[in-house]
Amino acid sequence: MPSVIESSKTKLAYPRHEPVIKNATFKVQTGEFVFITGASGSGKSTLLKSMYGAMPPMEGELVVGGMEIGRLSASKLYKLRRHIGIIFQDYKLIKEWNVEKNVMLPLIIAGFPKDVCRAQAQKLLAHVKLSHKSDKFPLELSGGEQQRVAVARALAHNPFLILADEPTGNLDDYSSQVVWELLEKANEELETTILVVTHHIPEMFSADYRHLTIENGVLYEIR
Amino acid sequence: MRSVKTHLALILPLFAILFGIEYLMVFDRIVSSYETKLNAEYSLIVVADKTVKSNDIGHADTLIDRIETVDAENILRRIRQETSAKNMEKIKSIMPLFYSVKLRRYPDRSSLQRLKEELMAIKGVKSVHMFEKTHDPLYAMLTFMKGNFSVFALLLALVGLLLIVKQMYVWQLEHRERMQIMALFGAPVWLRSGVLFRLAIVDAFIALFLIVTGMFYLVSRSDILAFLQEIDVDPARLFSFDDVVLLAAVGFGTAILSALLVVMRFKEES
Repeated sequence: MPSVIESSKTKLAYPRHEPVIKNATFKVQTGEFVFITGASGSGKSTLLKSMYGAMPPMEGELVVGGMEIGRLSASKLYKLRRHIGIIFQDYKLIKEWNVEKNVMLPLIIAGFPKDVCRAQAQKLLAHVKLSHKSDKFPLELSGGEQQRVAVARALAHNPFLILADEPTGNLDDYSSQVVWELLEKANEELETTILVVTHHIPEMFSADYRHLTIENGVLYEIR
Repeated sequence: MRSVKTHLALILPLFAILFGIEYLMVFDRIVSSYETKLNAEYSLIVVADKTVKSNDIGHADTLIDRIETVDAENILRRIRQETSAKNMEKIKSIMPLFYSVKLRRYPDRSSLQRLKEELMAIKGVKSVHMFEKTHDPLYAMLTFMKGNFSVFALLLALVGLLLIVKQMYVWQLEHRERMQIMALFGAPVWLRSGVLFRLAIVDAFIALFLIVTGMFYLVSRSDILAFLQEIDVDPARLFSFDDVVLLAAVGFGTAILSALLVVMRFKEES
């Protein structure tokens, strides 16, 4: 199976700071569901950022979707991102856009016609049980609903990889369960590779998964 | 309400810049039209004790348009009846030659002074009469006002630009979050900045519309038309299609450049 992510001795640091990640060596294969855990400040989110190019490695080699992140030009990086779905703890929905348009975002960027974008957005909103709120704006929704919109947006363009940063960090148990179910389903049915950074692996999680953890800036495989 | 404020914050300074430019152009046209009228009625008289070649006078200054010899008969006719033929011959022999010098444009006082010195330097020229007292006081006032309006328009443009730059920072903050999110999903620059350019173009269009409508209204007012007639200015010359093109270029150019500034300053958060 081809690797979706290949990281070899990746070192990550913020400018004028000690490295947060000293050595991240791992591979993620197509269709895998991977959790990366670690204490607060361990560098989980930083590692995730590096995978969508917001934090290029200072050393080592990080290849995502066959492209070496550290050597990508801005335009190539944007092209790569068009094939990745990202879910954030703080949802990152566009406040001025309604729910439907937020879900349409990756499709608009990909250049699909409006009616195609709208049909796909409605299909996904039905999937996350928010069809009745497609005209609402993000601030009119609860946190759980906003995150479901964010999940729908991440799935809208059938990405080969979904990166999720503490996707249920701000959610109640019910909303968390809905989000995990959606991700599991995308992984099982669409074979989308999913990489989640989180404090704890949810107890209700039933699918097969791999577990990596970060300790003292080094990434270890646990399962 | 917030949206109206956002728009007004760009429309008003843009309008101020365009108004300054248009006002300056209109004022310049009024002054130059008045200059043409004054110049048509104005000429210098050069008095010489021997024949001066018209080329000598013509080459003295670029301001000189043409030279006409004043026929001495016109002057002599008046005194002929009271003077004997013998004396008339004497007067004729000592009478100087007069030249009327027409100018290309109505000169200011310093140009007149320079012209006088240049003409006096020509061999044979005894005196130059400039009729300084008829040098129009209204014209002097208009040129003074034109100078003042230029300074005023420049200040208006500077303040307008500063307000536009300030508004751009506000836009940058307002649109930063949206642009960041779009960048995370790989949106190209033109797509994530599209709304900024749309705002800039719409606002420039509104500012242009206001100034053009305002100018059409002004040049169609009866009191303005009466004033223009009084100072012999053709109202059709006051505001033309060329003005609209120039104002559109400045308006859209300024707005698009400002939006470009915001886009160029955008940095993705790491």
